[in-house]
Amino acid sequence: MPENDKQSLSMVTCTAPVNIAVIKYWGKRDEDLILPINSSLSVTLHQDQLKTTTTVACSRNFQQDRIWLNGKEEDISNPRLQSCLQEIRRFSRKRRNTGDSTSDVSGVSHKVHICSVNNFPTAAGLASSASGYACLVYTLSQLFGVESEQLSAVARQGSGSACRSLYGGFVQWKLGEQLDGKDSLAEQVESESYWPELRVLTLVVSAEQKSVGSTSGMHASVETSQLLKYRADVVVPSRMEEMIRVIRERDFPAFGELTMKDSNQFHAICLDTYPPIFYLNNTSHRIISLVHRYNQYYGETRVAYTFDAGPNAVIYTLQDHLSEFVQVVRHFFPPEVSGEEFVKGLPVCSADLSEELKRDINMEPTPKGIRYIISTKEQDIIVVVINYNIMPL
Amino acid sequence: MNMPENDKQSLSMVTCTAPVNIAVIKYWGKRDEDLILPINSSLSVTLHQDQLKTTTTVACSRNFQQDRIWLNGKEEDISNPRLQSCLQEIRRFSRKRRNTGDSTSDVSGVSHKVHICSVNNFPTAAGLASSASGYACLVYTLSQLFGVESEQLSAVARQGSGSACRSLYGGFVQWKLGEQLDGKDSLAEQVESESYWPELRVLTLVVSAEQKSVGSTSGMHASVETSQLLKYRADVVVPSRMEEMIRVIRERDFPAFGELTMKDSNQFHAICLDTYPPIFYLNNTSHRIISLVHRYNQYYGETRVAYTFDAGPNAVIYTLQDHLSEFVQVVRHFFPPEVSGEEFVKGLPVCSADLSEELKRDINMEPTPKGIRYIISTKAGPGPCVVKDPNHHLLGADGLPKKSVISD
Repeated sequence: MPENDKQSLSMVTCTAPVNIAVIKYWGKRDEDLILPINSSLSVTLHQDQLKTTTTVACSRNFQQDRIWLNGKEEDISNPRLQSCLQEIRRFSRKRRNTGDSTSDVSGVSHKVHICSVNNFPTAAGLASSASGYACLVYTLSQLFGVESEQLSAVARQGSGSACRSLYGGFVQWKLGEQLDGKDSLAEQVESESYWPELRVLTLVVSAEQKSVGSTSGMHASVETSQLLKYRADVVVPSRMEEMIRVIRERDFPAFGELTMKDSNQFHAICLDTYPPIFYLNNTSHRIISLVHRYNQYYGETRVAYTFDAGPNAVIYTLQDHLSEFVQVVRHFFPPEVSGEEFVKGLPVCSADLSEELKRDINMEPTPKGIRYIISTKEQDIIVVVINYNIMPL
Repeated sequence: MNMPENDKQSLSMVTCTAPVNIAVIKYWGKRDEDLILPINSSLSVTLHQDQLKTTTTVACSRNFQQDRIWLNGKEEDISNPRLQSCLQEIRRFSRKRRNTGDSTSDVSGVSHKVHICSVNNFPTAAGLASSASGYACLVYTLSQLFGVESEQLSAVARQGSGSACRSLYGGFVQWKLGEQLDGKDSLAEQVESESYWPELRVLTLVVSAEQKSVGSTSGMHASVETSQLLKYRADVVVPSRMEEMIRVIRERDFPAFGELTMKDSNQFHAICLDTYPPIFYLNNTSHRIISLVHRYNQYYGETRVAYTFDAGPNAVIYTLQDHLSEFVQVVRHFFPPEVSGEEFVKGLPVCSADLSEELKRDINMEPTPKGIRYIISTKAGPGPCVVKDPNHHLLGADGLPKKSVISD
């Protein structure tokens, strides 16, 4: 199929961010619509360091929908993908039928070719389904002209946490009450510029073994953990209120403590699952220990960790403490001496560590326990990079 | 009838042994720190003293100037509040008996000082909770010396170390949480005796110790203070699990017993993770043992083996006699021991077994050499007892530890 057939090809490219939850989503009340058992809240990370880029082309000459992910053609019949495509097409047809037509909505009956890449390796264990589905849905909406208010629901059906990647800054995904999930949507709590001092480090841990995937993991938890319902019904609602409040007050110690507690509770639920799920490995435990000792040394919460369904740590801290903490990580997790940078992303100044601090932390160094660090901050908006729209004659 | 050894009217001496117990429904958290009252009931299996026990000799004499205690050959601080609690309570009960005229033992000795000498036949480094067997033995021995009725011992042992009250009985034992504020109804009682389920076997997998864990007392205190899930566990989950556990034991339903045991062990460790700061008792090897058990059970399509872990990395495995040899072989295969003079499997003998290639392939785990230091093979056993042979006293006629005890 010639790509530059001006009569019949539309193409749009967008990028979308990764988000890291501070109040965790783990467990569905509806597996088809992907409705969660509790609300969740996340921080959207800056796309300069982490993003998914997706191009969608649409043409009457395409014979079938196709998708390439990170250079490899994948199975388009994946139910989640189908869900997104069908929903977007449904919304688009509805718009066409009601006469709204600001984009090439005639294309909605044509097949699409989708190509998506991440600027971070899949092996890094950074959840790419959120950024991936958010990007796909957003790009399709640009192509077919679907209003942004409806995108939450579509992205969510691709991957639950994808709806949170549709906004920048601090984002909540409200669990909703309706059975049809129409009120289970993401919305921005505060923008990225609200708390400019906040910094994020992703500590990419040396991967040892394959973890249980999120979808089957959370399903097992819903089925078998007797503590999960209590978490969802009682603990999380009050933590969501508290989290929104401490973000609005820019209260880092409270934000940090609550973030760590919710990460730990999520992993506690995994342990309370049958069979139990272990996402944290030895290095993860040492990182947790390091953070607590570092905070204890200063008598306040300066640094906070959170872990998702894998051993990688995401560290939240304030600009003021960034250099020293990175140096602490370097000291207690000495990297491989090689050509590869240990700290990628936003530059981090070097810092000296006092002997007293090192002595007080009192941990054996774990050489090569952390492969590298990505230093980043929040992101405000989703960026549309290129928008090709070649109208048929 | 217990007859303390009299030494020319001035020295009485009694020696007893008491067992270790391993909880299958866990105790973790107090509602009263002084009386040691738990937030939930718990249930344990008492292990056989042939393999694991504490031996305690208590001597009482008007010539002793102060209370003294030796643990595993070393003199320790008698002013430890838990020890004091036990001594005071036993003396209080004994005085009450004397005052009411009950006198079947040498109760005049209650005003005298005591010398206590205690040893375990298992190393402290093995990480097997010795405070339960230790305090149970101490309290039982003191009661034999001073004549205190056994019904009152639960409360006294409990105040030394919560789970010690469960070591006062053999077989399957529950520690009922009680409702009264004074803790008088927070007592242990036997559910079924050790002879009820003779096919049940127990293995302790002693894992190579890496780092010092958070102690139980401070750990459970932190959990009560900071875990939002713990109250729900104690109020809602455990009561129904206690009922279920008692039922499946009485029905000798191993698959159900095993599954419930594993779930409660995991939930205990989940609470530790939900504590702030989080507590990690399970290490890498513990995780691998858990994984091995699940894969082994999955291979056979039924729960044949169950794990439980306390406040440390050691695994206690429950299984039935029929599966014992094969599972020990499985452990040997996936956790190949150091080739040395020391036996890998201690305790009750375990027959050798061959493993099918299919089983090994299906389990599909990398072996972890030397991950497990050794295994103790045992079974359910009886409660504390008096040692009648005077040669086994740990203290000499002078009231001091015998040379053989100190030099150990």
